[in-house]
Amino acid sequence: MRFLRYLVLLCLVSLCFAACQRSEAPEAAPPPAAAPAPAPAPFRVSGIDLGNAIGADKRVAAPGSSFAATDTIYASVATEGASPSVTLVARWTYQDGQLVSEETQTIAPTGAAVTEFHIAKPDGWPAGGYQVEVIANGASAGTRAFQVQ
Amino acid sequence: MSNDKPKPDFSNVKSGSSSTAPKPAAPAEQIYTVVAGDNLSKISRKFYGDANQWKRIFEANRDQLKNPDLIHPGQKLKIPAKT
Repeated sequence: MRFLRYLVLLCLVSLCFAACQRSEAPEAAPPPAAAPAPAPAPFRVSGIDLGNAIGADKRVAAPGSSFAATDTIYASVATEGASPSVTLVARWTYQDGQLVSEETQTIAPTGAAVTEFHIAKPDGWPAGGYQVEVIANGASAGTRAFQVQ
Repeated sequence: MSNDKPKPDFSNVKSGSSSTAPKPAAPAEQIYTVVAGDNLSKISRKFYGDANQWKRIFEANRDQLKNPDLIHPGQKLKIPAKT
């Protein structure tokens, strides 16, 4: 009978010990806080291509630097990054420095984007050298030279 | 006799542009306080770069302007957003 009492006592102590152990078990670590969203990349012009045709994505189909007198000439300006407002200017000039055309496009890119500028001359381009300078928010972002044969 | 070639004429060049990027949100209507020497054409040129759009400002302020030629310093005019 005494042995039975010890056995019951031992069981009770074991149960208490197990319960305490369970309650002292370390709490599960909280899930890691969500990483903050990466800051948007700063806006920049990543490429300028010239061509005589563009696709629906505004990219020139076949980049080149030599055009026919009757071509419409496209400058496809690839940009990266986000900005609430960016003013892109394409300044087209002839070899003698004469201004051919200046076109402005204001955009609010949220990521990679393509902006196209184009010029056409109904009676044909005079042969010679030309260039287009792309200006982003007042700073030159690149120049491309081309020839009209 | 000059051998100078005439400069090419680029006056008929047609240009354009488009983008895959969205346009910036149009600024909301602004309030402009008239100063001495102002007229609607001058204010139109200041905000729209085009004096001929004075009628937009006039129409937006019909509640306080009866005559487009009569505006007064200190008057606060609504300037519709540039389109």
